[in-house]
Amino acid sequence: MTQLGMVIDLAKCVGCGACAFACKSENNTGDRVNGQTFNWADFTIETSGKFPKVEQQVIPVLCNHCSEPACIPACPVEPPALFKSPEGITLHDEDRCIGCQACQDECPYSSEDVDKSGAQYSVISFNEPRVGVYRRESFEPVIERGTGSGSEVIRLTNSDPPDRNRYQHPSYGSKRREEVTEKCTFCAHRVAEGLLPACVGACPADARIFGDLEDPKSAPSKAIKQAKKTSRLQEDKGTKPNVVYLGAFTGKKNG
Amino acid sequence: MQIRRREFLKSTVAVGAFAAAGAPSLNGLAQASETCTSQLGAGSWVASVCQGCTTWCPVEVYVQDGRAVKVRGNPRSKQNDGFCCPRGHMGMQELYDPDRVKVPLKRTNPKKGRGVDPKFVPISWDEALDTIADKILELRKNGEAHKYLLMRGRYTYMRDIIYASMTKIIGSPNGISHSAICAEAEKFGPYYTEGNWGYRDYDLDNCKYLLVWGCDPVSSNRMVPATIRRLSGIVERGTLATVDPKLQTSALKGQEWLPVKPGEDGALAVAMAHVILTEGLWSREFVGDFTGGKNLFQPGKTVDEAAFTEIETHGLVKWWNLELKDKTAKWAAERTGVDAKQIERVAKGLGEAAPYAAIWLGPGAAMAVRGSYTAMAIHALNGLLGSTDHEGGPLAGMKPPVNKMPSVDAYKDELAKQKHKKIDQRGTKAFPALKKGKPGKGVVTNNTAQGMLDADPYEIKMAIGYMNNFPFSCTGVDRWERAMTKLPFYAHLTTNPSEMTMFADIVLPCTVATFEKWGFVKTKQNRYACAGLLQPVVKPFWDVKTDETEIPWLIAEKLAAKGFSNLLDYYKNEYKDPDTGESAKNAAEFTEIATKYYLSPLWLKKDGPGDKIADWEDMKKKGVWNSDPYPFKKRWGGKFKTKTHKFEFYSETLKAALTAHAEKHKTDVDDVLKTCNYTAKGEQAFIPHYEPPYRWGDEKEYPFTFVDYKSRLNREGRSANAVWYMEFKKLDPGDEAWDDVLKMNPKDAKSLGIKAGDKVRVTSVTGSYETRAKPWEGVAPGVVTKCYGQGHWAYGQIAAKEFGVSAESVNNNEIMPADYDRLSGSTARNGGLVGVRIEKV
Repeated sequence: MTQLGMVIDLAKCVGCGACAFACKSENNTGDRVNGQTFNWADFTIETSGKFPKVEQQVIPVLCNHCSEPACIPACPVEPPALFKSPEGITLHDEDRCIGCQACQDECPYSSEDVDKSGAQYSVISFNEPRVGVYRRESFEPVIERGTGSGSEVIRLTNSDPPDRNRYQHPSYGSKRREEVTEKCTFCAHRVAEGLLPACVGACPADARIFGDLEDPKSAPSKAIKQAKKTSRLQEDKGTKPNVVYLGAFTGKKNG
Repeated sequence: MQIRRREFLKSTVAVGAFAAAGAPSLNGLAQASETCTSQLGAGSWVASVCQGCTTWCPVEVYVQDGRAVKVRGNPRSKQNDGFCCPRGHMGMQELYDPDRVKVPLKRTNPKKGRGVDPKFVPISWDEALDTIADKILELRKNGEAHKYLLMRGRYTYMRDIIYASMTKIIGSPNGISHSAICAEAEKFGPYYTEGNWGYRDYDLDNCKYLLVWGCDPVSSNRMVPATIRRLSGIVERGTLATVDPKLQTSALKGQEWLPVKPGEDGALAVAMAHVILTEGLWSREFVGDFTGGKNLFQPGKTVDEAAFTEIETHGLVKWWNLELKDKTAKWAAERTGVDAKQIERVAKGLGEAAPYAAIWLGPGAAMAVRGSYTAMAIHALNGLLGSTDHEGGPLAGMKPPVNKMPSVDAYKDELAKQKHKKIDQRGTKAFPALKKGKPGKGVVTNNTAQGMLDADPYEIKMAIGYMNNFPFSCTGVDRWERAMTKLPFYAHLTTNPSEMTMFADIVLPCTVATFEKWGFVKTKQNRYACAGLLQPVVKPFWDVKTDETEIPWLIAEKLAAKGFSNLLDYYKNEYKDPDTGESAKNAAEFTEIATKYYLSPLWLKKDGPGDKIADWEDMKKKGVWNSDPYPFKKRWGGKFKTKTHKFEFYSETLKAALTAHAEKHKTDVDDVLKTCNYTAKGEQAFIPHYEPPYRWGDEKEYPFTFVDYKSRLNREGRSANAVWYMEFKKLDPGDEAWDDVLKMNPKDAKSLGIKAGDKVRVTSVTGSYETRAKPWEGVAPGVVTKCYGQGHWAYGQIAAKEFGVSAESVNNNEIMPADYDRLSGSTARNGGLVGVRIEKV
């Protein structure tokens, strides 16, 4: 069996955000609207302690591509729109999705509306019917005939969004249609070509390690074995997440 | 189908498992035959340079169907190891910003001022350029060419063409750069100790103790991706310590955070020097030793200069006697709020790790009133540790062997040869601006507004600005607003309609760096010097031109057509295609030929050092030239560029510069320092020493000290209109997405009845403003802090609340009054510059 997974070394991570931006670039995810984040890669940030002994834990988050995912059984479609690839990637077939958002509701790492729930992030986002992922496309120019507008940029570049990365994948599009949910795919379209997921390849700190967690010789398995401290998010929910964190973001202080 | 493994192999991921798993499982994609397959979206990587900060990372842009779709670090770069920071990715949000200026505009409302609608209307390039050329020629006709002003913001090294040569040939001394709102005080430290007017490079791979001081190098300060990559290694094998009044990433990651009271950095530095000396931890190899071998540096006791023999340094005992002997850790603890034990521990740790130790001086500790001496005191620690130019220490760096600007002398007519003072008042008694040892050589960017308002030394009648936004980016914003209102004619070369654009008579829309513009940069990082090429990776979809090359050429053409051909002659004769010897025939040819001219030694000098570049096509393909690594101890052995050629703890170099300035004004150094608001007297003027901070607003009326800082997502002030900037603003420690929060210690917040998200009124000596507050443990009681970058009333729809009218929050530069570190000419924005009062609204 293969189970692709990711190790994120929090001691190496400086919380710069390059992963999140590389993800947005690669996958053309939209701008936050109505409680939907469209950040397939995001962060939780927790501050604790009192000045000057303060800690801040930054945790880069993404779909955990769980071994026992909550989203798949939640899907009412037969066969479910969410499914496991043989490599263990939790994929989403946007053609079959009916946009009921049950997956968002059941996934412990997702929220139907982050504004209402107060969640810091949501793995799964929902494409409400709207103009497009390029939020400002309907804006009027700030200087009449002098500055551009979103719709004009889209027309001139013949692309929505203008920087849309046009890749192809059988189950999901490079821009998802309206009224479906969407989430991190581990960049399955890249992985199929032997490339690393965009967030992994873009990390200047090399904090992310991607590979088969079932193979003891893989880089992430070795990193897990060597680590003093590993953790996974919300393991108590029983979803068996395949994103594994090493160490802690805030370092140990002297004195 | 077979899964391809290039990156998997590189990262030693489960190749075997993949073969076993069988690739067709990933949904039957067709065999990939090219690097850029149709499945991944056919396209190609084109090299350019990110200008999101002055790391100036060589990058590559993925281009599909003539559109830029993603960015990565240039894998050939030895500075960034093939990675860019978040700013690189964000660049596309500037390229495709819907609020860009798309055509030339002219103002139709003669009334100017903040919030006044300029009533811009589109005009042709021809009309815009004619107007500008006519204004220049009118000045020249009246013998007032010096009343022309060119203001430069961020740049590429094509700056020579618009900033230097055009200004000089027209006949004005007023090429005013942004440099002194950036970091001149920071450069002052290394210059007046070791003769290096510039940023330091750092050998982080071999560093065992890194003391970050007044910046967060994983967020800013010129080698961002390389530092992101190496920071955890330092923590693992040694110690990372950070001096900063506000919690930031390096402080979080490292073993030591020294939350210094704003402006007291100098006290901390001299106390660390005191500890290093009294503990006998200075570098014997670099500094030397007592002839008797016994350490005579004892607290409070003077030392006989003859007792110590120095090697690579000058004036150690003088420094001890004049400044250090009484500056104990206890003395510093009282001022800085940092525990004496921690000061001692860090100083000893540095001494023990030395010379594999580096003090990374940033602008936070230097860009303050009296910051020059603080910068010297902090940087001098690198001398004590013998780490400068040493493995694991700070390095001077090298320069790529590119061409220099051709001389303009032959193209200056009698009018242009006249000598005039500059509008920023540099070199006056109160503005020594001692760049590179020369009084009045440095720019005093922010004082330009005062010069314009007071018409001192004369009135400015016409100005051109590019890649700048001084009525937003300079402290004392109101002065700039008044100066720009008063200015009779202003042409702004810009990508976005910024605050400065709103005062313009003519607006010229410009190309966006990285994506649409020719140019090049010179950098040094990670032991390598680099020349990076910016090239148009996509065709502009607006009617835009390049600020530094095309626009000056087009102005030169207009001037020539109207009878003044010197500028066009200069561009044609001096910038010839190095391959063909031909001159450019038009602006589009000129912009490429000029870039090629500068970079051509990289391929024409066949036996040169560093990377081999075959020709111009090869340069365009590679996008970067890397030098050989910097040789350690390059300047040891008496090769420092100071007066004594040594590392100066008693700065003969500063003594000469200050004395020259005093003599110019027929006075003495004490009087100069008093005029310039320093406290030093006598010999103290020439040594790194503690100066008490200078604060605007007394502590009774303004009980909180305001700390300004920069965002890891600020792209040189050009990202505030980007959705991604707002969405991920939370990545700056303490900050919130889609907000511009003023952080204060929860104890203070509680006593004022302020909760997270409450609107607060912030009052300083400059006025009262509103923003939202956030209680946060990352600052000490009595300190409040907010990030620079938001509070725009123009620039675009995300940046402003109502474009041209109002802001969502407040620009920090409105809270801060204009003041200076006068020895360097720098604008002060740190060091406890301003006190504020906070009230719940």
